[in-house]
Amino acid sequence: MKLLRPVLLNVITWALVLLISFPLIWMIVTSIKPQTELFRIPPTWLPETVTFEHYWRLLSETSFLLYFRNSVVLATTTTLFVVALGTLGAYSLVRFTYRGRETLAMLVLFTYLLPSVVLIIPLYLMMVSLGLSNTLFSLILAHTTFALPYALWLLRSFMEGIPEDLENAALVDGASRMGAFRDVIFPQLLPGIISTALFTFILSWNEYLYALVLVNSEAVAPLTTGVMSMLISAFNIEWSLLMAASVMMSIPLIVVFAFLQSYLTSGFGAGGVKG
Amino acid sequence: MANVTFRNVHKAFGTYVALENLDLDIRDGEFVALLGPSGCGKSTTLRMLAGLDFPTRGEILIGDRVVNDLAPGKRDIAMVFQSYALYPHMTVGENIGYPLKKRGIKGRAREEAVQKAAALLQLEPLLDRKPKQLSGGQQQRVALGRALVREPQVFLLDEPLSNLDAKLRSYMRAELIELHRRLGKTMVYVTHDQLEAMTMASRIAVMHAGLVQQFDTPDAIYNRPANRFVAGFIGTPPMNQIEGAVDGGDFVVAGHRIPIDRTAFVDSLRDGPAVLGVRPEAITIATGEGLPATVRLAENTGHETIVTLELPDHSRIAARVEAARRLDVGHNVALRFDPAAIHLFEATENGARLNRDETPASVIPMRSK
Ligand SMILES: Nc1ncnc2c1ncn2[C@@H]1O[C@H](COP(=O)(O)OP(=O)(O)OP(=O)(O)O)[C@@H](O)[C@H]1O
Ligand SMILES: [Mg+2]
Repeated sequence: MKLLRPVLLNVITWALVLLISFPLIWMIVTSIKPQTELFRIPPTWLPETVTFEHYWRLLSETSFLLYFRNSVVLATTTTLFVVALGTLGAYSLVRFTYRGRETLAMLVLFTYLLPSVVLIIPLYLMMVSLGLSNTLFSLILAHTTFALPYALWLLRSFMEGIPEDLENAALVDGASRMGAFRDVIFPQLLPGIISTALFTFILSWNEYLYALVLVNSEAVAPLTTGVMSMLISAFNIEWSLLMAASVMMSIPLIVVFAFLQSYLTSGFGAGGVKG
Repeated sequence: MANVTFRNVHKAFGTYVALENLDLDIRDGEFVALLGPSGCGKSTTLRMLAGLDFPTRGEILIGDRVVNDLAPGKRDIAMVFQSYALYPHMTVGENIGYPLKKRGIKGRAREEAVQKAAALLQLEPLLDRKPKQLSGGQQQRVALGRALVREPQVFLLDEPLSNLDAKLRSYMRAELIELHRRLGKTMVYVTHDQLEAMTMASRIAVMHAGLVQQFDTPDAIYNRPANRFVAGFIGTPPMNQIEGAVDGGDFVVAGHRIPIDRTAFVDSLRDGPAVLGVRPEAITIATGEGLPATVRLAENTGHETIVTLELPDHSRIAARVEAARRLDVGHNVALRFDPAAIHLFEATENGARLNRDETPASVIPMRSK
């Protein structure tokens, strides 16, 4: 009996893990199967022959790399914008007292509650009148506007956790306001900034709807819309290429995660203040 | 020159008035303690002096310069925060060295200064630790080190010893006194521990409810308390306050008369309700003549006994007698007060003292705990 419990628990846990990761595994498996093996019934669980031809075709015969570059530029720039604006905004909301501060914070969140479909047409018209339609920059702006409210709230709560006296001490010790921010606030805020950056990067990387509406030229399309329009037509879906593209699209996210995750859990945080 | 002046400073948080009519004149090189119960505005006073809070009205001067609009870093001050405010991501050494770094002191000079401060505070073995890995008392010493590593014009210390054990505290008290003597810098020291204030400061500002009640030497605060609050705050146990009335040459408590010397009090003293103040050590417990009382409690601390006595009007007072004295609970005794040690206060809630102050005080020796 004693032995049964942990065994049972393990079995259930692994079953769940398998269930959840099955699409992922199937995606990888499919991407390295030769075309002929793809639709065989019964399916082969492990490919009989492993091939990387789909990856090769993707990289050499399609605009995949162009879309990839667009996505990298888009997600990175959006993340930088959101983190910079969010940090400054959160600092202001937490550290300075002014009329309407709370209202402002609520209002920001309110815009987040609106479904993006409602905003997309006005946004499109605005981009047209600004002369930005069909540019990567219009997408950067759009992604920034919808990631910023959440980022602001996330960073605000992190900022509230930083004792004001920490900054005061730096000021007394001779730092300027900027210096105090750099030396004391920023290192304390880093976990919050990383969470925000991760959130924004993933949001922007995977975003589809805005990209579909605001951008319709191949030269500036990001991966989501680019790959879709390239591989899925009314007549035919290029499954192998699609799966290979999907694997390639996930890699940056996995890399970013692996890189930042250790920061998230490593020993930053409290201890500066009594109690 | 770094005398510190508060000129008619007011501070309000919204509608809550934290400080009123604050007038302090701290001389260059003086060690001044701000003493008072929790919430009386001590930290607020210090923070305004540091430039972290701004007076609603009034002026603050360091030296001859009005500093109201001067950034904290430009005031040439060092401060120990009540909350320590150590930088969590820096080591102890980096914490202590930070004020020097911000003032462009590099390399060996900085290292030596940090070493010196660490040695003074017995922190050398901890220099590479992070604040999180320290005990409360160690953290407090790091906070102190960060202030003492420089030689600013004014030191601001907000309860810097509150979290140390008794032994370390008395060691640090002596060290701070010594340091003050050596550096000759102005120090403003916030505490709610009267022993610290009495032993370290050349003058004490006793604060209560946003008002400075008295700003004077420890001796004057103890022997000539300005009002009932100061009388009831200083001393352990503090001065007894007996309600009654002045009637000619006597003070009357519940029908019993205590003779007083009217010439020792201000001319405006009238017959009528008043409060008599007397320190526990100025009371003699005897039999026969005197104010009748009943012994309710006798606490022997080893070197003295604090006796709680009940008066005929059922109020209680404390008296201090030598430890060897046996007093049984429930016994009736008679109390006599040293006439030179009798204070009179107005009968209002925080009544002013009515003694004439030219006749300098009684000769009660100052006591420590
Ligand atoms: N930022 C603030 N907003 C509103 N009220 C405040 C603020 N800071 C202080 N106060 C109030 O002002 C009063 C004085 O506070 P202060 O911190 O100066 O007390 P203190 O004498 O240092 O007390 P303690 O011994 O507990 O540290 C308190 O009643 C406090 O509630
Ligand atoms: Mg305080």
